[in-house]
Amino acid sequence: MERNDPTLTLETRARRSYELGRLRHALRLAPFVIVAAAAAVACGRPLLLAAALTCVLLPLCVGLSFTGGPAGRGVVPGLLAGAPALAMPLLIATVGHACFGEACLSLCLPACVVGGGIAGAVIAKLAVRQARDPRFLAAALAVAALTGALGCTISGAAGVLGMLAGVVAAGTPLLVAARR
Amino acid sequence: MRGRLSVPVPGLSAEPEVAPRVQSGERAELRRLMERLADGDRSAFRPAFALLWPQLRAFATRLVGGPDGEDAAQAALLRVFSRASEYDPGRDALSWALGIAAWECRTLRRKRERRREQTAGPLERLVAPGATPEEAVIERDLRLAAEEIAGTLRPLDLETLLAVASGARPASGATFRKRLERALARFRLAWRAKHGKE
Repeated sequence: MERNDPTLTLETRARRSYELGRLRHALRLAPFVIVAAAAAVACGRPLLLAAALTCVLLPLCVGLSFTGGPAGRGVVPGLLAGAPALAMPLLIATVGHACFGEACLSLCLPACVVGGGIAGAVIAKLAVRQARDPRFLAAALAVAALTGALGCTISGAAGVLGMLAGVVAAGTPLLVAARR
Repeated sequence: MRGRLSVPVPGLSAEPEVAPRVQSGERAELRRLMERLADGDRSAFRPAFALLWPQLRAFATRLVGGPDGEDAAQAALLRVFSRASEYDPGRDALSWALGIAAWECRTLRRKRERRREQTAGPLERLVAPGATPEEAVIERDLRLAAEEIAGTLRPLDLETLLAVASGARPASGATFRKRLERALARFRLAWRAKHGKE
């Protein structure tokens, strides 16, 4: 096509509109991530840690959603699946439980594992619907893990590892069962 | 729809005329392409553009007419692609796109009308000395409506009507009379299509 072809110009403009529309659509997820981070900070999570996690989670969510495809489809399920893992330890902290030493192992850590288990089950169930696409699974797991980590860092690295263990423990049997 | 359209009539719903002519295969293909675009598949962009642009141009030209139709079609095309991520695969893609185009056409027409009202000079607004404000408004509205219909006529028809209005009739009477009859008939047809009465 020629350089001055008006159809080509229109096509370029249409393409730009499409990409901007996708970016606008992807940015709709940003408030949810920011609210999750704000909730974590409001419940006593260190600001720097929450900010560092949000700085990874926010571009990941927006970027994957903008790119689209199976990975893009995994963002919202990941956020939803990570919500219990984020909320449970924070709720336990807000009812007056102090997460120090052995007390942490009695309540906060199990809450992280249970939250991770819920996330794993939800993601596995949705991944089966998406024909167990590895890109969907990877994106949903990454988003859920980062969302859950906003709350589970209350128990330190053990909380995050416990949550991940919960994800694997609940998700793997569902995925294996679906494969049979 | 690949063919040329007949004389455009603003306000006449063009969707029933445009939509059925689109083959069901093309319609289904457009649906699939829009679904892929909504999912972020960029490889569907070019074929979707190639299918959508002629449809939107035909629709907007039919609805608004002439260069305005082209402008409205371009605006609609950009809007359709801008909102492609929101496309619901359960809906018919062509109807969805034509709905957006109809909205763009209406917006463009309103903008043009508003601009015309703003640019009208005080002498044009003053229809007849001694007329009541109500009469003046009615006459102005009628004049605007007639101008709008005249804008959709063929150049020859418009030229004929303007010649009668200005009193400059050409010498060959019989030919001119026939031409005038045809021009008036087309004007009435367009008026009825837009306003439903004479």
